[in-house]
Formats: sequence, structure tokens, C-alpha cells
Amino acid sequence: MSLGSDSSGGLLAAVREPFEGPNTMGNTPAFWLGLTAAVTLLAAMPVLFGYYAAEIGAVFLAYALLGVSLCFIWGYCGILSFGQVAFFGVAGYAFGIVAINVPTLTGLTLGLLAAVAVSTAFAAALGYFMFYGGVRDVYVTILTLVVALVLYTFLGQTAGGEWAIGDARLGGFNGMSGVPDLGVGIGSVGLEIGIVGHYYVTLGALVVTYLGLRALVNSQFGYAMVATREDERRTEMFGYDTTFIKFVVFTIGGAIAGLSGVLFTAQNNYIDPSVFGITAAALPVVWASVGGRTSLIGTIGAALAIQFVDYQLALSGSEWALVLIGSLLVFVILVMPEGVAPRLHEYVVEYRASPDPTPAETPAPGEVHGGDD
Amino acid sequence: MAGIELLNFGFEFVEVFAFIVLATVGLAVIFGMMGIINLAHGEFILVGAYATTFAFAAGLPLPLAMLTGVVITAVFGLVLERFIIRHLYGRLLDSMVVTWGISLVMIQLVRIAFGNSAPGVGIPFGQLPVVDGPVYYLVLATIAVGVLGGLYALFAWTDFGVRARATMQDEETARSMGVDTDRMYMATFGIGSGLAGFAGALYAPVMTITPEYGTGFLVEAFVAVVVGGSSVIVGTILASGFLGSVNAAFTNLAGTFMGQVAMLVAAIVAIRLMPDGITGLLADWRENRGESR
Amino acid sequence: MGTSDPTVRTTPAVDETGDESSQILQTRGLCKAFGGLTATDDVDFGLEKGELRCLIGPNGAGKSTFLNLVTGQLEPTAGKIYYDGHDITEMPSHERVGRGISMKFQVPSIYEGLSVAQNVRIPLQQVADGDEFESRIREILDRFDLLAERQTVASALSHGQQQRLEIGMAMALEPKLMLLDEPVAGLSVEETAEIAELLREIAEDDGVALVVIEHDIDFVESIADRVTVLDQGSIFREGSIEAVKADPEVKRIYLGEER
Repeated sequence: MSLGSDSSGGLLAAVREPFEGPNTMGNTPAFWLGLTAAVTLLAAMPVLFGYYAAEIGAVFLAYALLGVSLCFIWGYCGILSFGQVAFFGVAGYAFGIVAINVPTLTGLTLGLLAAVAVSTAFAAALGYFMFYGGVRDVYVTILTLVVALVLYTFLGQTAGGEWAIGDARLGGFNGMSGVPDLGVGIGSVGLEIGIVGHYYVTLGALVVTYLGLRALVNSQFGYAMVATREDERRTEMFGYDTTFIKFVVFTIGGAIAGLSGVLFTAQNNYIDPSVFGITAAALPVVWASVGGRTSLIGTIGAALAIQFVDYQLALSGSEWALVLIGSLLVFVILVMPEGVAPRLHEYVVEYRASPDPTPAETPAPGEVHGGDD
Repeated sequence: MAGIELLNFGFEFVEVFAFIVLATVGLAVIFGMMGIINLAHGEFILVGAYATTFAFAAGLPLPLAMLTGVVITAVFGLVLERFIIRHLYGRLLDSMVVTWGISLVMIQLVRIAFGNSAPGVGIPFGQLPVVDGPVYYLVLATIAVGVLGGLYALFAWTDFGVRARATMQDEETARSMGVDTDRMYMATFGIGSGLAGFAGALYAPVMTITPEYGTGFLVEAFVAVVVGGSSVIVGTILASGFLGSVNAAFTNLAGTFMGQVAMLVAAIVAIRLMPDGITGLLADWRENRGESR
Repeated sequence: MGTSDPTVRTTPAVDETGDESSQILQTRGLCKAFGGLTATDDVDFGLEKGELRCLIGPNGAGKSTFLNLVTGQLEPTAGKIYYDGHDITEMPSHERVGRGISMKFQVPSIYEGLSVAQNVRIPLQQVADGDEFESRIREILDRFDLLAERQTVASALSHGQQQRLEIGMAMALEPKLMLLDEPVAGLSVEETAEIAELLREIAEDDGVALVVIEHDIDFVESIADRVTVLDQGSIFREGSIEAVKADPEVKRIYLGEER
């Protein structure tokens, strides 16, 4: 019988309500069940595979969050940024600088906040500059990429001793090492977050961001975003300030990318300019394109799966990971340009629409994104 | 005193101008014609450079080795166009994303095949008197001007050029007038690739060749295309001239790094003031003048 | 602008607040030039509240340009536009929408990638409150006979359905003035009759003033009493449909056109 139909699942439906709508895929009880299972499985990873899995897994989860930041601005508002890594890296460096200089709980908390604030402000400044300056389409795409590449060049030449902020040496291409772990608290009251803790913090950040963005894209503002993506001029004619919408969306994207950058840097205790490089900049585009840029969950799944395979290949000493990733990108764009998740979603919808005696709400395997963990 | 400084500035300008022009034209031709920013531009340059060094190492004289680089890159571009890019016409962003995928594959394949370095090519022609720099940079500048002139001739005077411009203006109309736009795109992509390969070949003696060699051209090329706008030749000349002079001036005053920074700041200000590039502004200006008449 | 510009006729027509008539839309000396070409030339146009007026004229008469000036898609070279007694000449396009001017374009311009319900929601949420979205969408779709298609992707609709959807979207904004650019171009006879019926309803029942650009004189006759004939950017004739139809001069400028 149907799971959580209106009569039996009134409460469940009410809880789901803000996260559902035609702007997102996966509006069925089956989807939420699958999602809960996937999150539970991810949460069990450190228990099942230990300390080491947590250490690696946290990095993948941070990447997934970076992918989400692109999916949100590109898939939902049509702003294709090739430079999400700029916000990711800037926040990573900012956290490192604060945390190295003030390695107390207060300092670490401040570092986290300051880093996200810096990346948000950076995105806001760049977004204001571009959208209010009338920069559009391809030009936005290239400008964002150029910003990332310029940061790459800039930080690459900071090897000299004069490039130090307090105790934090930028270190040029050798990178900035000795970045402390995350911590939350004031004075001596608080929590130092160890490796397993960090894994859960990252997973929590990802889940909360995912749910938050689902609620946002299904809200009035979400409709305005989608309308801007579909036809900017038409949307203006309906009285929307599309420039402002793009500015806000881009800024939120920068904030999310920044948060992922902090989580990434604190986990590795290290950051170097390669995060701004052309290869790193391509990865969010790969995840969103392959997973499906209009599907937050698809992008998350793709990021986790691709980075997992990448890691396994690197472990086995293979150099073919990038070749594989690049080919995958080309293949997906040629064969299913909308990405894997939207395609799966279509199959599920068709399957349900087909005249079949079984009730439509039967959990369909495709709706739940597969075991990317 | 002032004389030598002016000379230094002049030389610096010539060097940077040539670099921007040569790094940009291949990208600009493809962008102007198809609206696609070829993210694999750097790797086309890379192909040109590798083909040149290996041809040179195999004993070909340098000019012939460079020609080999150009031809191989052009053929390579044509093959990619036929097998991949052609399926994506009308899908601007998809085609950009795909070229990026190609770029990732190529960088890594080159690394796997040739390792992290390649045989070097010495700088020909020796050093200049008075200013500190090789004669070769002046040769490069001459070639850059020659390339621009050649492109102008191609677009302005040949039958191909007329059809290419018609396609650029309005694809539908061009097609209805019997222009085979599919072939125009293929040819343009080939020319753009060949020009990228040419840049790679020309700078093979000057820059260390690694799998990331192409990336070194990207910032200048992207910035110049964006600042220049969609008109290929005028855009490239004006953008290269503008960015080149800012870069040269600040390099002379405060060193190479500051030169780069100043150029990028100037580029960003330029894009803010002219979101459709210099040539977009020129088009507007022409229209406005017409209006007030 | 102003008196220094020789192209502006110095009509002391209306002051800053517009005159006290019941007119919803007025233009005074409205001009628009593209390069050397004058697309709109000194147009004084007036429309009563709730009136349905057709704008006709040969190709290139400047009809679409005129509508685009009223919606703010184009900036006039000279002249003034008054809406509901206020000068809106300098007002940005999206604010005009907020004041109740809505536009239906020549090419169906709906959100093709979105469902019919999503399409209606986008203009609707500009004027309605959150808890009434569902019921209002239903109401609008019902009125425009699209309820069965509410989940359908707009690109999959028939041409006539797309036109109705677009009018429905324009009406979702609860406009006081609606501008339509060739709403029945390319529609079948039945579909055209449907649209005619809808437009009459919108004018009579909802009290919305309408300006409709149309080529098809039969259609014009079926919806409007008064027509304005544009030629070479200026108002050539204005009056009842019968009078305009009988005017030999109008026939002359139309020679070689549709009729």
C-alpha cells in the first residue's frame, strides 16, 4: 500500500511540505525514505570503516557541498560560474590565516565565521560588479574563471617570507600548512572537533544546506530564480528585479562554496593554490553536469561518486583519473545533456504514469539516488 | 635616461602585445564566429608546442617544426569538431563545458605520454643591443601583426571571409542564402585551432614546456577576448593594445607581477564599463551617432 | 528633451499629474528613432479606462515600437507617457508592471521549460499572498481552459493553448492596462474566435483597458469599436471601425497589404 498517503501521514506531509514543489525532483515519500537511508548510511561510515573512512569521507562531503553551490546558481538561476573554487579557496585561506594566528577555541570559531564572511563578501562584490555592470552569459562564465586563475597566479608567487600574515605563511605553491582543526567555543568553553567529529560536522552542513536550498528553491524566491533562468527579459516584464535576484543567488552560492572551503581546509590542515587551478575549477562543473545541474541530490551523488573513484584510482597508482573524469563529462553532455539524476527522474515518472495495477506510490528504485557512498 | 626608459617601455609593450595577440587570436576566431569560448584553447596551444619541440628534436629546422605544430593542431581541432563539437551547435554552454572536459583529458594524456617535461628548443636570433631582451621577441611581434593582417585579408577579401561574416551576422539568413554554415563552423574551428597551435609553436623556444604549458596563455587570452568583444580582429587589436600598454607600463615601473596585476585590474574595469567588450561599445556608439543625425 | 528639442511639439496638454480625464493611457508627442529611422513620430494617443482599442496599420508602421515604448522596453527619443494620470516616461519597465501594465508579446513568450501551473505562479506571486496561490492558479487555469494541462510542460501545449496561457499569465498580474501584440497570429479560426471572446470578456467584465495590435480586420471588427491606424510612425486615422474601413485613404496605405 502507499506509504504516507495523505490520510495516514498528515504530519509527515506537513513536515515535507516546505521542501517540496515542482522546482525540485523527489517529492514522494519514497524519495525521502531513500534519502534518510542514504544519510543514515553516510553517518554509519566512520562506525563501519573507522577513523580513516571519516578522514577521507569528510573531504568528499566538502566537495559535494562545493558542487551544491554551483548546482544552486547554475541549475536554478542559470548563472554558470566556472570559478566557484575562488570562493572555496579564499575561505580556506582566510580560515587558515585566522586559525594559525589564534589557535584557541575563540579563534577557531572566529576563523570559521570570518572565512565564510570573507567568501560571501567576495562573491557579493564580484556579483554586484558583474550583474549591475550588465555583464552577462558567457562573459560571467569567463570572468569567474579568470578570477580563480588570477588567484592561482597570485598565491603561487607568495613563496617569499614577506607573504606572511602574522604567523601564517602563504607559502606560494608549497601552500599553507599547519592549519588547525575546527573548533567551536569561547575561551575555554567549547569543543575541539576531531577527525570523526569533523566528518559529522561536514555531513551535517551538507544535509542542512541541501534541505535549506530545497526550501529556498520551492519558495517564492525560488520561483523568481527559476523564472530568471528560463527567460530573464520576460521575468523582468512581470515586475521582477532579475539583476537583484542574480546578485543574491550568486552571493549565497559564494557563501556555500566558502563554507565548503573551510571544511576542506580544516580537514586537510593544509591548502595550496592548486585549489584555484584550472583542473580544480573544472570539478564542480563536472559534478553538476554529470549529476544533473537541476538536481541538488544528483550533484551531491555525482561529487561523492566521482571523487571516490578518483581517490581509488589515485590509491592504486593510476594516472587515468582525470582522463576518465574529462571523458565522462564529454560523454554525459553528448548523451544526456541534462545529467544523470533528471534522466532517472524521467524514467521514474514514466514508470509511475504507465498503466500498471500497482499503486503509484510504490518506492521506485530510481528515485532514490544510488549507493554513491 | 628618458630615452632608454622609453625604449624599455616600447620593448616591453611589443613583447606583451605580441603575446596577447598570439595567445588570443585562435580563441577569438572561434568565439567571434560561434560564440563558443573554447576551454581547451590552452591544450590546443599545448599540442602545437609539443608537436614543434618533437619535430625540432627529430631534426627538422625550426620554421618547419613550427609549421608541423600548426598543421597537427589544426587537424586535431578539425577531428574534435567533427566528432564532438559539431553535435553541440546551438548549445552554447554545453559546448563550453565539453571543451573543458576535452581539456582535462588532454592535459592528463600529455602528462601520461610525455611526463612532466619535454625537450627544449633554444631561443633563435640571439640578444638585442641596448635593451635587455632577445631579438626573437621582435620577430614574434612582427608575426603577430602579420597574423592580424592575414586574418583581416581573409575576412575582408576572400569569398570564405564574406560567407564567414554572413554566418556570424545571422546564421539563418546565411543558410537561406546558400552558405553551408556547418562547413563554415568546421573551417573556423580548424583555423582557430591552427592559430592556437601557432601560438604554442612560437612560444615553444621561450617558455618551459610542461603539461600545464597551455594554462599560461589562458588568463591573457580569456581576458582579451572578453575585453575585445565579439568582433575578432578589431577586438583583438584594441584589447591587446590596451592591456599590453597597461601591462608594459606597470612592468617597467614595478616589475612583472605588478604588470600582470595592473593589466587584470584594467581588464576588470574595462569589462565593468563595457560589458559587451570594446567592439560592443563601438557598435553602440555608431548606432547612437546615427540616431542623433 | 523639452522645448529645446525641435521634434517635440510644445503641446500644453497635461501637467505633471496628467489631466483629469478618465483616460488610463496617454502619450504626448511620443517619438522614437533608431539611427536615422523614425519608428514612432509625434504620437498623441489616448485610451479610456476599460476600452478595447485595436492598433492597425501596414507593416513597419511602428505598432510594436509604440507598445514597447509604453511598457518601457524601449526608451523614447522624445515625448511623454502618462498612465492613470502619472508621468511614467522615466519609470523602469518592472515598476510599470507593478502599476498594472501588462504585456503579451508577439511570439508566445511563456516559460517553455516549466509546467503550466509554474508559469501562472510566476506573475501571480507578484500580486497574491502565499496561501491563495493554489486556489488562484486553479481559478485562472479554469478560466482560460487549461486546468487539465496544469502539470504539462508549456512547450508541449498547442499554439492556441500557449496564447491562452500567456493571456492568463498577463491577467494573473491583475492589470488595469493590457497590451497585446498580434494575439491571434497563426491561430485557427476556432482558436481566433476563442481569443476574441476572451478579450471582450477581459475588457467588459474585468474592466481592463486593452490595446491590441492586429492585422486581421475581421478579428478587429469582432472585438473593437474604435481603431487607431498608424502609418509611418504617426497616427493616420482614429475612429469607429466602420468609418476607418470606409476611408479610401486607409485603403490606399494598405494597398498591397493583407486586405
